[in-house]
Amino acid sequence: MSAAVQQRLTEMWESPHTVRGWFATVDHKALGKRYLVSAFIFLLIGGVEALIMRLQLSRANEALITPEMYDQLFTMHGMTMIYWYAAPVLSGFSIYFVPLLIGARDLAYPRLNAFTFWTLVLSFVLLYISPFAGQAPHAGWFAHAPYTETQYSPGYGMDVFAMSLILLTISTTGGAINLIVSILRLRAPGMSISKMPIYLYSTLTMSFLVVISMPALTVACVFLELDRRYYTHFFTVARGGNPILWQQLFWFFGHPWVYIVFLPATGMISMLIPVFCRRPIVGYPYVVLSTLLTGITGFGVWVHHMFSIGMSQMTMSFFSAASMTISIFTSIQVFAWVATIWKGRPILTASMQWALGFIALLVIGGLNGLVTAVVPVDWQLHETYFVLAHLHYVLIGANVFPVFAGLYYWLPKITGRMMNEAIGKWSFWVSFIGFNVGFFPQHLLGIAGMPRRIYTFPSGLGLDSLNMTSTIGAFVFGIGILISIVNFFNSLRYGVLAGKDPWKADTLEWATDSPPAAYEVVRIPTVISRCPLWDDYDENYDPRNERILDQGRLTLATTWLDATPLAISRLPDDSLAPLWLALALFVFFGAIIIHWLWVALAAIVIGLACACFWVWPKPTKGLA
Amino acid sequence: MSTVSADIFNSPPIADLKPDDELGKYGIWLLITTEAFLFITLFFSYFYLANRTSRWQVEIPPPITLVLILLGILVLSSIVLHFFGEMQVKKEKYGGARAGIAATIVLGLLFLGLEGFGFSQSWLNITPATDSYGSIFYVIQFFHAAHVLAGLLMLIYVLFLPLGPTQRTPYRPLHTAALYWHFVDVVWVFVVFFLFILPHLD
Repeated sequence: MSAAVQQRLTEMWESPHTVRGWFATVDHKALGKRYLVSAFIFLLIGGVEALIMRLQLSRANEALITPEMYDQLFTMHGMTMIYWYAAPVLSGFSIYFVPLLIGARDLAYPRLNAFTFWTLVLSFVLLYISPFAGQAPHAGWFAHAPYTETQYSPGYGMDVFAMSLILLTISTTGGAINLIVSILRLRAPGMSISKMPIYLYSTLTMSFLVVISMPALTVACVFLELDRRYYTHFFTVARGGNPILWQQLFWFFGHPWVYIVFLPATGMISMLIPVFCRRPIVGYPYVVLSTLLTGITGFGVWVHHMFSIGMSQMTMSFFSAASMTISIFTSIQVFAWVATIWKGRPILTASMQWALGFIALLVIGGLNGLVTAVVPVDWQLHETYFVLAHLHYVLIGANVFPVFAGLYYWLPKITGRMMNEAIGKWSFWVSFIGFNVGFFPQHLLGIAGMPRRIYTFPSGLGLDSLNMTSTIGAFVFGIGILISIVNFFNSLRYGVLAGKDPWKADTLEWATDSPPAAYEVVRIPTVISRCPLWDDYDENYDPRNERILDQGRLTLATTWLDATPLAISRLPDDSLAPLWLALALFVFFGAIIIHWLWVALAAIVIGLACACFWVWPKPTKGLA
Repeated sequence: MSTVSADIFNSPPIADLKPDDELGKYGIWLLITTEAFLFITLFFSYFYLANRTSRWQVEIPPPITLVLILLGILVLSSIVLHFFGEMQVKKEKYGGARAGIAATIVLGLLFLGLEGFGFSQSWLNITPATDSYGSIFYVIQFFHAAHVLAGLLMLIYVLFLPLGPTQRTPYRPLHTAALYWHFVDVVWVFVVFFLFILPHLD
């Protein structure tokens, strides 16, 4: 019977291996992999841009690139890394692993999932058309007005900035809604809110941050584009506008975004440290609460990016104190990880080494962040390399390092083959040393007064050797990352077969095959503890065969608090409509930039038709 | 191994469970949340610009009659949609429900038409290109109008949707669209209050 059931489930869940099947698939595993691959391509592009800048800054009065090119490079580097790498790579993990972790067969809205993937890629394409069309954005990833107005930034660069970001906000918001509903609605029976893996909490917090903070970026970008091409005056002082409005809106989005690219990474660490220490995490409720509180407090700190614009003592005190509060919550998590290692029996796998490197860098990045939260010190260090060092310690330390820890931990599940441990450790040590050699000197450069965003510097100011050191470190770091990429391709061919649970881990994704079957689980599992695979309970116990659900693309909906079975959710099948809608939106935003309003209108009409096809109900029979 | 029986979850047998018809509802609530923050951001911008600009102090408050009529139209449309649309579907009177949805759509179109007429009447020669007040004043209203249009398109979609009892979700798509429509109406209440009534109270 089992083989027949598996055959039937496979037919229902597998996308056909055709060109249409590739473009139409809504399978979260395929889309999650594509998210990860796209994000890594974006990482490499952004990395090459960074290395070109470091070459330009390696010596005084270097003339490798022009100042204009330098401006565009640092803007594209920042945008690529912060918007198109840091969040999408974490989304890739969430999209692949959330359904496996909750024992569901897909996310709640599989077609929305396909749509958010295509809009992510197309928004990146829209951004990278700009360098080939004459001018890339050149005002930094935060693009403070009024420099971005047409008066100072003619050309299409800043229009591309605004439009590609709006397209990206649509993608990110859609993805977040999908994850929230999946986590709150599709968890396996018994996985009550108090038994969820911590990764689900951090993903949930991140998704709510996206839903609440993204509109501020959308509004800011709409204002910018209207100001630039459609004659409004939001940021023009002469007509009653206010450039600080941009800063308020942007940083109200911008600071939560920092936690959006950080919290899911802490969730990954909270998953894999217990596995490699062979014991459950210490202080589960405290880790969960500090994750949620980081998210909530994250909305009350945005003004610390603007201490130098002039504001009342009261305002500065409030936002300074709020910023320092965050460090308490982060410390709680750090102490929980350290305590888990202390109480457990840690095994130093490559993944664990990346995780330990993350903790070290997070502590440094947190402490130098605390320094800049002190207002007078911030005035001194504002716009210097010190801030640059801080943000790279938190973004690389708390995003890239945990992502690699996650890759070494989870890739065996995705590809079915183990990565080479020895090469992984080499990759870690080269990256870790390279990173610190590259970025620690930037603290000193900042204190010595080297400003950010300058394309070169005169010699004799005491900046020469530190800059050279930084450049060398950056290249070593790049080599460290490349070693892991080589390791990945090597593992695809020569890796040892992973089997179901190579790490003897505790969470549900390790109960599936590696790589998981199209339908993932023959039976929707049930759960009675926080570490389902470490307890004595059989998750697949189902004497009446009632949790097979093979009468269609079905999965189980449960209550959000206790996860008791509630209803049977039918999930949609493959469709090209999400791709067509994404293409229509791409054309729409492109047409807005070049003022082809009739084309924009046509694109919207076509997009609406696609949306109707997308949601139009199919005639169903049987259970349904 | 499995000494714990499956009914520890104290729930009805899986086979007795109904199809899940509420996934769409959660999605639309989250969409409404994010759009609510969109409008909160817009209103924040309005007050931020107002507080920091001396130009606004001398302005005459905007005319209020038309927007109150528009408010009446939207409130009426929400009532019609609820009592003559959703309630009728629950009573399985599908023909009546379709008429109710159609009436709502007519009211929505009337709203957009009258609002467009209002835009065409020049008021103190203020346009989006005049100054920051004109920009934010009109952009908030354009944003709202765009959302009314989106709500209308959802209702038109539902109007052509088979609503009968043979369909697996008899009234869920209507409920989903209706939630969004009520949200758009509530936003208009805030637009009227912040942009039109508050300046009169000064």
